[in-house]
Amino acid sequence: MTRDRRPLYVLALQMCAAVPLWLPSVTVAQEISSPDFAEQIRPLLSDRCYACHGPDEKHREGDLRLDELDGVTKQREGGRIVVPGDAKASLLIKRITSNDPAEVMPPPESGKSLTEKEKLILRAWVDDGATWRKHWAYELPREVPTPSVDISADIHEPANWIDSFIAQKFSAVSGQWSPQADDITLLRRVTFDLTGLPPAVETVSAADLSKFGQYERYVEQLLASPAFGERLAVYWLDLVRYADSVGYHGDQEHHSTPYRDYVINALNDNLPFDQFTREQLAGDLLPNPTEEQIAATCYNRLLQTSHEGGVQPKEYLAMYAADRVRNVSGVWMGATVGCAQCHDHKFDPYSDRNFYELAAFFADVDESTHLTKGADASPTQRFPEKDFLGRVERQQLAKIRTEIQSLEEEQSRLAEAVTDSTKRTAEQLASLITAAKEQEQAIANQTRRAMVTVSIEPRVMRILPRGNWLDDSGDVVSPALPSFLGKIDRGAGSPSRLDLANWFCDARHGAGLLTARVFVNRFWYLMFGEGLSTSLEDFGGQGDAPSHPELLDQLAIEFVRSGWDIKHMFRLLATTRTYRQSSLESPWHRQHDPENKLFSRQARFRLPAEFVRDAALTYGNLMVRQVGGGSARPYQPGGYYKHLNFPPREYVHDKSSNQWRRGVYTHWQRMYLHPMLRAFDAPSREECTSKRTRSNTPLSALVLMNDPSFIEAARGLATNRLLDSTADDRLRLNYMFQLVTSRTPDPLEYDVLRQLLDDSRQEFRGLASEARKLNAIGMMQTGELKLDAVELAAWTMVARGILNLGEAYTRN
Amino acid sequence: MIDEFSRLSIGRIMSVAFRSAKVALHHSFAERKTTIKDLSMLMQRRSFLSRAGLGLGTTAAMSLLARDLVASGSLPTNSPGLPAGISGSLSLPHFPPKVKRVIYLYMSGGPSQLETFDYKPKLAEMDGQPMPESFTKGQPIAQLQNAPLKVQGHLTKFNRYGKSGAWISDFLPHHRKIVDEICIVKSMVTEQINHDPAHTFMNTGTAINGRPSIGSWVTYGLGSDCDDLPGFVVLTSVGGRNPQPISSRQWSAGFLPSRYQGVEFNSTGDPVHFVRNPDGVSRALQQKLLDGIGRLDRHRNELVDNPELATRISAYELAFRMQASIPRLMDMSDEPQSILDMYGAKPGDGSFASNCLLARKLAERGVRFIQLYHRGWDHHGDLVRYMNMCGGFTDQATAALLLDLKQRGMLHDTLIVWGGEFGRTPMFQGKGGPGRDHHIKGFSMWLAGGGIKPGYVYGETDELGYNASVDVVHVRDLHATLLHQLGADHQRLTHKYQGLDMRLTGVLPARVVREILV
Repeated sequence: MTRDRRPLYVLALQMCAAVPLWLPSVTVAQEISSPDFAEQIRPLLSDRCYACHGPDEKHREGDLRLDELDGVTKQREGGRIVVPGDAKASLLIKRITSNDPAEVMPPPESGKSLTEKEKLILRAWVDDGATWRKHWAYELPREVPTPSVDISADIHEPANWIDSFIAQKFSAVSGQWSPQADDITLLRRVTFDLTGLPPAVETVSAADLSKFGQYERYVEQLLASPAFGERLAVYWLDLVRYADSVGYHGDQEHHSTPYRDYVINALNDNLPFDQFTREQLAGDLLPNPTEEQIAATCYNRLLQTSHEGGVQPKEYLAMYAADRVRNVSGVWMGATVGCAQCHDHKFDPYSDRNFYELAAFFADVDESTHLTKGADASPTQRFPEKDFLGRVERQQLAKIRTEIQSLEEEQSRLAEAVTDSTKRTAEQLASLITAAKEQEQAIANQTRRAMVTVSIEPRVMRILPRGNWLDDSGDVVSPALPSFLGKIDRGAGSPSRLDLANWFCDARHGAGLLTARVFVNRFWYLMFGEGLSTSLEDFGGQGDAPSHPELLDQLAIEFVRSGWDIKHMFRLLATTRTYRQSSLESPWHRQHDPENKLFSRQARFRLPAEFVRDAALTYGNLMVRQVGGGSARPYQPGGYYKHLNFPPREYVHDKSSNQWRRGVYTHWQRMYLHPMLRAFDAPSREECTSKRTRSNTPLSALVLMNDPSFIEAARGLATNRLLDSTADDRLRLNYMFQLVTSRTPDPLEYDVLRQLLDDSRQEFRGLASEARKLNAIGMMQTGELKLDAVELAAWTMVARGILNLGEAYTRN
Repeated sequence: MIDEFSRLSIGRIMSVAFRSAKVALHHSFAERKTTIKDLSMLMQRRSFLSRAGLGLGTTAAMSLLARDLVASGSLPTNSPGLPAGISGSLSLPHFPPKVKRVIYLYMSGGPSQLETFDYKPKLAEMDGQPMPESFTKGQPIAQLQNAPLKVQGHLTKFNRYGKSGAWISDFLPHHRKIVDEICIVKSMVTEQINHDPAHTFMNTGTAINGRPSIGSWVTYGLGSDCDDLPGFVVLTSVGGRNPQPISSRQWSAGFLPSRYQGVEFNSTGDPVHFVRNPDGVSRALQQKLLDGIGRLDRHRNELVDNPELATRISAYELAFRMQASIPRLMDMSDEPQSILDMYGAKPGDGSFASNCLLARKLAERGVRFIQLYHRGWDHHGDLVRYMNMCGGFTDQATAALLLDLKQRGMLHDTLIVWGGEFGRTPMFQGKGGPGRDHHIKGFSMWLAGGGIKPGYVYGETDELGYNASVDVVHVRDLHATLLHQLGADHQRLTHKYQGLDMRLTGVLPARVVREILV
């Protein structure tokens, strides 16, 4: 019967005159005649029906639940909701197609409706037998064999198994690979993606990616670079909402930089992701935790706190608990459990009980001290805190202590034989030891403080009816997982944070494979500009189904199998043919795959805020590479903190080389994020951010044009070239352009910049004092170089031109 | 070099030229989902234009074209290539708007309703007596936790003014002049009792951070009528008691695209960050730089044909126009002395009065949402002293702004809102002289302008001014009403985020307060 009807749908659809030319991949007829449950049916039911007929028990209408098979096939007055294979007999179809406003679903007052096409899709699904599957994100990834598709791998276009899954989807729609990107584009892309920095000019000029294995070797170099950890940390710090200030009211500074260093080091060490998870959530509960494992537990303290007079501790502890649930579930589960704070979740099977049970895992985290011992100081105190030495300092300390030890041994040997000469040596030794000990002390004093997790007697955790903290009538709950996801059995005791962390990463008995799927999707996003599922933050019922579900599953399995090896996953992605494609759009792309759901080309986008800064500092030869350490304070407009109080704050930019450090180290003031970071869409880090917006606004243009950091970078670029006294204008200009774009300018580009040079020279020649003003922006000292002020200013203008090109900050 | 004026003119001509193409485009797609396709065609046209050698003017043309497309509803809100600063949402307005813009006078800190608009004779009678527990038991409380609660009578005199006979306290003498223009709502309630979350709640409808502010929703939905200024501008001033902090979260775009965030104009330093040319660089030279950048980016885009790059080019042009228009706007030298006196403004002093005048100028320029913060209304103690200060800083200019807009024929299409993040307790708090603690169960705000009943008082609190008891207006209702006046249905102005159709008023009940509308 169903087969017979297919042409009818097509016909009906054509009558709707809505055969849009732009529809990608599948044809309209296919889409309607055999709809895919995960991609088409469940999202429809979820979006249009679950608000009233979903998991939320208290607001469920008519005792009807359409998020479970039992509910869908239920016998009701007047028939069954869905009779598989028979749309006509199904109440669901009857109600959605009804013309009676009192009967039609969704009801008009809900503000939701179904289009004719959507109704046809639902009807086809029922006629097809109403296949039902659990929501894709709650089903365990399933292993499938790699499709045997010709991926045309040869020495010039190597490929791996991931490409087979991409190619498989092409075959259905006569899509195809884009050609491999040119060497310059590819080198810039992979360097930006894996390190957040532009490639060195020498790297680009020496590269010949057609040589077997050269690209792969370059990828290895990038993965081994300390910049890799810094790059990935930017993403991780967004997820866990890392910041340097408390976020509420006075937005006082708090202590957290050792945690940032922990993250960078862990990523550079390629600490397996499961261990990375355990250390942050429960490093304090590990046997004999190391310093780094304790620093990791700052994760549990990164939430926003208030130090306002007159806060009611009970209210704020409830807010903190909710903050934690939102973050933990957002980061590790890709879930919006936070929605269940006041009511059962509308679209996913999380009850309000689940919410408070999840919060209960963190009830032992000592967090309430600051509510009673508050201080109007910045940095504020948020006990418990601990002083840490950075990794470099620890190494230095160990070294100097060994030295001291050997010196002292020498000293005691000398003490046995007292002669005039040994006396002198002994004196020398003693002064060496004193100096070494002073040095030891100096290093030991370079500690930085971080909030840490200390486990105390757990606070009583109650279900707060409607999220109301004044209402004590709710049940007391203990730590537990959302019931549909499983259970942690600890016998009589309660499961701990460590149990929760283990469960997140236990692929056999826990949610390991689900967690892995959430993360490989994010890795994919970082390398391709968009996730396989676009909902990086929401793998729930309202999230977008993945474009390549099987590939996503295989990647998740691979991640677990590799021993949660993060670098391995990035290596795999970077070496696909899919990754190496050109990002140019062809007319075919625009017509058939405008959103690039097929990944038949690479993505192009503006770099994230921190890497815009990093790129400019690198181009301007100003970058100071030092991994880890305290936060850096770049130039910032005066008075920007004028609305802060308790205490009033004045921002003082760094006067040392700290001024020119990577964006990942920039002081992160939640309420008043550095205007440059803000203009380029960096989040305030009040909540978990898995995907930043990418905007192009006048405010960001003003930053690139006029922010002193960027003027100074332009001067750096100019200075660098002027020092080469053998070069003429043409050579200088070409090389400057190449430093920024990795390519030489074409004649038009040369002419435009040359004109700017001439115009600037002309202007500054008459106004040397103005030239000196421009040259004085920023702390970089170039006076001793005795450069001609007019020349420097004019070349700075040229450098500004180059440093404002879209190409300088676009990953293609 | 094409000057700014003729650039815009070319823009308009191009915009007309493409209108027919645009209509055809619009009709050829049966569904609104065609936006990406729409947009890529738009971009193709744009690169055609730049190839046609029309120079700088083309992007201005395209932004106008895009604005027309937006206005006709054929472009969505968050299309990736939309020119910055000029955009609005699908199918808005939902119905004919009453006002074009909002000026929101935000009295930060929580002004006392009991010393401004809410006169309660019973309060004076019970002055000094214990506050009946029937009011306070189980209620949220801020700094008065564990303190004895006693009634604090009015700390100033009240009188009735105007035809409406509304009560106004002596702290706000200039309000007597506008009492018949404004609609006082005495029955406001909110849900957050500490400043920070209360600000967030008042501005975003929730205490959870990361949500868009009203101004962002409004510009997201309706775009802006101004081509060289941001659509949502924030002005701040200080004065009064040790002022409570405010956060840029209060004008954040949250999960909406960043271009809808409020832009703060500073009264000292650069009015907008980085809007001034670097030292030593003249405007002429900066223009040459910008022309060069534009030429290079456009040239590159002929090869790579990237819509994002096209957007970037127009963002640069708008930025350059802002570099000229913002300093011009801040310049008060062409305002007659009589106007300065009327506001009590001294140009460049960063006062609330100067900001009120600036707000008028922004309104004239077509800025959609203007929010003025005056901090210093948090009067836990010494209330009389600080109310005198806050009244002194704000009262005259507030009245002047309203009357000035009226005399310019702009009051009828402007909505003015006056109020803080919460009110203050009927109970005494004594830090220094008598004062009052934070209070969320009943407080006053006022609205005025287009479509609002002038000289009207709505809602009541109980006899002690504790609970809003008659015609309660929740923050969500205020938001719904505000959007309604702009022509937006609060239930339909939505944005998909985390799988939900998010809206300013959230999921709990919210209503347009029709009783206060003309």
